[in-house]
Amino acid sequence: MKFRLEWLGQYLPGDLPDLATLRRRLTDVGFIVEGTEGEGKDAVLEVELTANRPDGMNHRGLAREAACALGRAFRDVPAPAPPEGPAAASSLAAVTIEAPDLCSRYSARVVEGLRVREASAAVQERLRGLGMNPILAPVDATNHVLWDIGQPLHAFDLDTLAKKADGLPAIVVRRARSGETLVTLDGVERTLSPEDLVIADAEKPVALAGVMGGLATAITPSTTRVLLESAHFTATAVRKTARRHGMHTDASHRFERGTDPETTLEALDRVTALLLADCGGTVARGVIDAHGTPRPRKSVTLRHARLVSFLGMEVPLERCVEILSSLAFGVREAAPGVLEVSVPTWRVDVEQECDLIEEVIRVVGYAALPETLPHPYNPTWSEPVLAREERARDLLAAAGFAEACTYSFVSAEENSPFASCVDGTPPVVSNALGEPFTTMRSTPVVGLLRAARHNVRRGLGDLALFEVGRSYALVEGRPVESRRAAILLRGRRGVHWASEARPADFHDGSGVVAALFAGFGAPAPAFRPAALPFLAPGRSAEVVVDGKVVGWVGVLSGTLAAEWDLGEVVAADVDLAAIPVPPPPSSVEMPSRFPGSEVDLTVTHPFSLSWDTLAAAVRAGAPSELLSVDAKYLWRGAGVPEGHVKTTLTVAFGSAERSLERDEINRWRDDAARRLLAVPGTAVDGIA
Amino acid sequence: MSSAPFSVEEARGLLDAELADAAGRGGLLPADVHELKVRWLGKKQGVVTALLARLKEVPKEEKAAFGAGVNALKQEVEARLDALEAEATARAAARAEAAKAVDVTLPPRVPPVGRLHPLTVVRRRIEHVFHGLGYEVADGPEIETDWYNFESLNFAPDHPARDSVDTFFVEGGGTGRDALLLRTHTSPVQMRTMEGRRPPIRVLCPGRVYRKDDIDPRHSPVFHQMEGLVVDEGITFAHLRGTLSAFAKSFFGGRAEVRLAPTFFPFVEPGVDCAVSCVFCETGCRICSYSGWIEIMGAGMVHPNVLANAGIDPERFTGFAFGMGIDRIAMLLHGIPDLRLLFENDVRFLDRTWG
Repeated sequence: MKFRLEWLGQYLPGDLPDLATLRRRLTDVGFIVEGTEGEGKDAVLEVELTANRPDGMNHRGLAREAACALGRAFRDVPAPAPPEGPAAASSLAAVTIEAPDLCSRYSARVVEGLRVREASAAVQERLRGLGMNPILAPVDATNHVLWDIGQPLHAFDLDTLAKKADGLPAIVVRRARSGETLVTLDGVERTLSPEDLVIADAEKPVALAGVMGGLATAITPSTTRVLLESAHFTATAVRKTARRHGMHTDASHRFERGTDPETTLEALDRVTALLLADCGGTVARGVIDAHGTPRPRKSVTLRHARLVSFLGMEVPLERCVEILSSLAFGVREAAPGVLEVSVPTWRVDVEQECDLIEEVIRVVGYAALPETLPHPYNPTWSEPVLAREERARDLLAAAGFAEACTYSFVSAEENSPFASCVDGTPPVVSNALGEPFTTMRSTPVVGLLRAARHNVRRGLGDLALFEVGRSYALVEGRPVESRRAAILLRGRRGVHWASEARPADFHDGSGVVAALFAGFGAPAPAFRPAALPFLAPGRSAEVVVDGKVVGWVGVLSGTLAAEWDLGEVVAADVDLAAIPVPPPPSSVEMPSRFPGSEVDLTVTHPFSLSWDTLAAAVRAGAPSELLSVDAKYLWRGAGVPEGHVKTTLTVAFGSAERSLERDEINRWRDDAARRLLAVPGTAVDGIA
Repeated sequence: MSSAPFSVEEARGLLDAELADAAGRGGLLPADVHELKVRWLGKKQGVVTALLARLKEVPKEEKAAFGAGVNALKQEVEARLDALEAEATARAAARAEAAKAVDVTLPPRVPPVGRLHPLTVVRRRIEHVFHGLGYEVADGPEIETDWYNFESLNFAPDHPARDSVDTFFVEGGGTGRDALLLRTHTSPVQMRTMEGRRPPIRVLCPGRVYRKDDIDPRHSPVFHQMEGLVVDEGITFAHLRGTLSAFAKSFFGGRAEVRLAPTFFPFVEPGVDCAVSCVFCETGCRICSYSGWIEIMGAGMVHPNVLANAGIDPERFTGFAFGMGIDRIAMLLHGIPDLRLLFENDVRFLDRTWG
């Protein structure tokens, strides 16, 4: 927002303040001067104002802050009441507030017999300095007052307002009726709704209250009689109206943040004086001043002891009084160390004691605050889900994967094949940026696919990516976010000149999932064949813990891989919360000092007979000395019947108490072989 | 093989000749030495055995001397052949090694080296500093309600302060304070933490946040925040300044200073912008826009309305809160020129070590 130094200086008696000093001090007290243009009285300051300080969005308001910050006097510029003619304003127009909750005050003056001209050079120069183009004197006068003291005004051509039954042109502040329309000053026809607050005449809306006037009632070069509006509309009413119509004006900007109902008369005096000077005319006698629901005056107690303990530093009581007084707060010491502070009507931001403490400390300066630390504190709690996420990141990075960070939303089309990854439906962003940002992902794998495509398109085809993040769903209207570890593998594994690389396959995927479980110290999960719509049939599995599905792993379906233009991709997604993480051990056994023994068994079996079945047959009824069952070698092809596999299992035995005898190991092996043979369809080498 | 020698001297001469011959042919290998051992020391046909067999042909008075001479020869042969054997074994081992030699400058077989994302690394660095100051880490949902994201934090409905945070809403949520939205900051975690626990509270709330910004080098609709919250009896504004200063010094280096400036956030009062003295330059640089200061976070004293909304007595307890963008700090620290790099996942970007 732009401010002219000369205009500020009008409220600062004495020499114009030094621009650099003013810039620094205004910034110190919370009005960030982002830049300045020009020099001397024509210098312009570009100031960033926070939403809570509409009172600073005009020259008088900012000058008040400047005076306090610079330790200088502030002097208001009086606005004498204009000379009035004999005709009473109330005999020329009537104002009715039908929505008193949305309009606490509507003040109006009528000026007759004016000749619309251009505004004076001084007014034009000021407006140009702020980057505005002068239009006609009545309009420029209202803008001048807005930038001078912050009261938005509007000028109606009185002769265009429809009359009531009593013959008076009417101003009615009311909600719009459904279906009403209004062409605003920008030439746009707007369809109104009862949410809109409007100014109407006896028949129709003539302005969007606090936002923009209507074209039909605007000042033109031939206007001779004007009604000047100076009102206070509630912030919410103006905000809703402006938002509904996608409008933002200097007036709405101020009304939305809060204006001072006490300035309406003063603003009328100022604008009338400018109008008379530029266009002549006669001011009708009196002000039409209609009131809605008044706003209560605010008074806040400031306890000096509280200020000191809140800040952690001493500020003398007298200094507090001095600062508040210079900002036009009314200060009275109600009891020793207790100030009763009346809040200026323009200070919409000050409600409570802490607001007054801020007033004091921002003027004292934050640089004066000591740097102290709170007393020591022992953390006693940590968020388990975050600890689990962190551990998963470390485990997957240690497994050779690069951590990715992908957007939580993807396109509806990208997500839809994966929708079954979570229960419920994917949350949809109602005001998204568009695709591909509409749909909260059902699995981070969708984001990893985007990442993979980015890299593959750049010739980077060997990928091992992971993301630890959330998937999102709505279940019966309630959001559910689950913590996932997702991985993506693509391209070659083990690339080195000394040996042939191999393509990433299903078992790389299941291996990473197994490594993740192992890293958490959890028992290995089961991989159960599954038909998932996004994975290749026959190379897809659900990850199962205690009979419950906690994730999936597999090769992306050919259709999807083609859609993503990625070739063969292996992916997995595991619910981190479902990994059964045991507590760390509280006691540890000595490892056995007796070496164990391994024996091999070779079994020929139908492909449909899974490894899990074979391993279970070996384990069932095995002695407690059985340590592990592992797959050593698989062979399909020559020498093996069609549809069959020849699997060599390695079975390890060992004991903590003794060395095992060859005889008993052989006996256990033969028992295991017989159990394998009992599985229908199997043949075991060496066993008839 | 020549016939057996007739005397110890002859045998010794023969040994010298054979060993010299072997040496002349190049280094002996263990098999060669074994052959020599069989020839000289073999129990049935060895030269020494054969020589000893001549004892019976030696005149009686010479038998003792002859026997002693043969024994001495035997020991000498054993010693010399053992030495040769040791040499041969070493030689054979050296040749075997030489055969296995590699070009050590060839590209190594590097096991896959995983990486953490820079946002993870920087987040952990920030957390590390605050762990040292006694902070715990809290967590909360990203799909929030209007109540937790705005209203409980003193953002009144229709308040213009909401203009500064363009919010994504979720279809099918309720209305008013039950409306579902993507959290625009991690401050709702502060509210949830205060509801769930009584003071003293000292937590960090890291996480993903969302704002309706178009994607460009400095904006992303998804980014990451780290907020902190301290609530206890006797927490002061000076504590906030001291904490931010301690963080700046730990994180950016001991000479970092902080500067606070008044600003407005609805959920704190007073609210401040916190800048850190530029640690990248002495006299001004592009990073600090030649101002010497880099704005890194917003902060303030927790607004009494917010404490009250969480059921905490604002008269008895005070608190402060601060929040910073992890993405922004990562970009600052590592000179990352474009925010989009953090989300594109180009492996040439990811395959770095971020400290």
